[in-house]
Amino acid sequence: MSVLTEVRRPAAPAAVDRRKKPPGLRKARTFYLFVAPWIIGFVALTVFPLGYAFWLSLTDSDGLSPRTHFVGFENYVAIFHDPLTLSSLGRTGLFALVTVPLSIFAGLLLAVMLNQPIKGRGLLRGLIYLPAVVPPVGAALTFRLIFDRDAGAANGVLSGLGANPITWLVDPNVRYVLYALVVWGCGGSMIISLAGLQDIPRELLEAAQVDGASYWQSFTRITVPLLSPVILFQVITGVIGSLQSFAPLLLSSGSLSGAGTVPQGNYLYMIHVFAQYFSASRFGYASAMLWMLFAVILLVTLLIIKVSARTVFYTVEPEGKK
Amino acid sequence: MTRTYRWALSIVLLAVVLVMLSPILWLVSTSLKSPAEMASFPPSWWPSAPRFANYTDAISQVNFIGATQNSLTIAFISTSLTTLSSAWVGFGFARLTAPGKKQLFVVLLATMMLPGIVTLVPTYLIFAKLHMVNTYWPWVAWGLGGSAFLIFLFRQFFAGIPREMEEAAIIDGCGYVGIFWRIFLPQSWPVIAASVILSFTHAWGDFVGPAMFLSQDSTTLAVAMATGYVNDKGLPMNNLVAAGAVMYVLPVLVLFLFMQRRFVSGFSTSGIK
Repeated sequence: MSVLTEVRRPAAPAAVDRRKKPPGLRKARTFYLFVAPWIIGFVALTVFPLGYAFWLSLTDSDGLSPRTHFVGFENYVAIFHDPLTLSSLGRTGLFALVTVPLSIFAGLLLAVMLNQPIKGRGLLRGLIYLPAVVPPVGAALTFRLIFDRDAGAANGVLSGLGANPITWLVDPNVRYVLYALVVWGCGGSMIISLAGLQDIPRELLEAAQVDGASYWQSFTRITVPLLSPVILFQVITGVIGSLQSFAPLLLSSGSLSGAGTVPQGNYLYMIHVFAQYFSASRFGYASAMLWMLFAVILLVTLLIIKVSARTVFYTVEPEGKK
Repeated sequence: MTRTYRWALSIVLLAVVLVMLSPILWLVSTSLKSPAEMASFPPSWWPSAPRFANYTDAISQVNFIGATQNSLTIAFISTSLTTLSSAWVGFGFARLTAPGKKQLFVVLLATMMLPGIVTLVPTYLIFAKLHMVNTYWPWVAWGLGGSAFLIFLFRQFFAGIPREMEEAAIIDGCGYVGIFWRIFLPQSWPVIAASVILSFTHAWGDFVGPAMFLSQDSTTLAVAMATGYVNDKGLPMNNLVAAGAVMYVLPVLVLFLFMQRRFVSGFSTSGIK
């Protein structure tokens, strides 16, 4: 560091204020002083745990006994021979395939409606968004109560219609309760789409109107293309969120050690991971499962970006500087 | 747009509001039912004689007060530290230059996409090795590290402040720490408000973190609600579950209703642009 400083000030008079001498270097040092908390946190709380999980995934650790053996990639091979792991992964894929488009579509529809000049739309927006701020545990408990066999509103409605009550919270119906729970929070998607809609220049839509475009035409030809980056963002975060979802745990026993008792229809990948860690104490295997999830998430994200490259329309280059 | 169209739209939206709020109404209705009413089928839509004692029962049945204190402690630790740390780091990214800054910023944005739960379990194992499980130190560590999303929010805000402010301060002999502390931070209260609300709701709502890191006595309300209220036969007492859940959810809903704009601003700027 001092070498650089020497080189940079060959003719500087000694009496000049210290602050003015090597502005670049001083600024660089200050920059790193400011971002240090994040860098340290990132290394200690993200990079290191990921590395530790990888090391564990190469062992047969059970978390307690000191005798852990290095087993190479045996755990990863085991993943592909474990029917529970594979079926839970498939189920999680289906879960994402159902809930992500449903939430985005519902959110977009609501956003379009709430973007019209109607009375009290601020209040309507707030009320429709409200479920999205209910904490996950509160939301899951609420749905447990609605779909309770005897005291739940869902069966109350059914009996009012003269139908037989349904046992919702067990297989095979419990998965629909999960889907409903997720879609209930579509207000989050609505807010993001609404922000996207408000960013669309009015002139474009007005020009289309002058040219005689119908409402549907300007929606499909202008609004949707301009909104596509926002939708892509939601698809990616939605899929990442679904792959990590452990919401079924909250719908069932509500404890980590109870992960193994989640009904089969809701036995998602993360539930299986929790069951391996906290019931079976298979730390090595569970860590391999986590790395597998990490790889799947990366792959799916890249795939979505790749596939959407042709369909997503950016007004500004995505990597362009502000 | 015609009048009829506007009316039709309003009616559709009112119906949507009703559907969206009906679960919450059911929760409140259930929280006021007597055990006898809970046992009858079909269920009544609204209790004939609201039983407010459910609320006092819900508080005494589990360690409600203790769990609330724990929730508030954790929420306070993570909200204050995360906000301060994110503002500090965001200032660095907005106002200073250094070799490697661009790459670091890309890493920062990429971490927003990282699956949090994948790192959480191994983090738990590491803290267990350090004997820091069942303490609040993990929340101190997470708080100090800041949140990538909030760093991004602060960075966007600070980047928009005119350069003259900073230059004038430098001429007056103020260092960058002083500039951050005395000039930039006091101006950023809209972002601070958003940050406080978002981190508070996150900490209050978090389930896996406390479920993994804390034991029964030191755990938060979220965990206590998820597992509590079971009778001697191991069956859930649903009217108490509802009463507990109402009290657990209410602070967040009230916060939302009063600070709606801040909630929404946090989301609508969320890394789309």
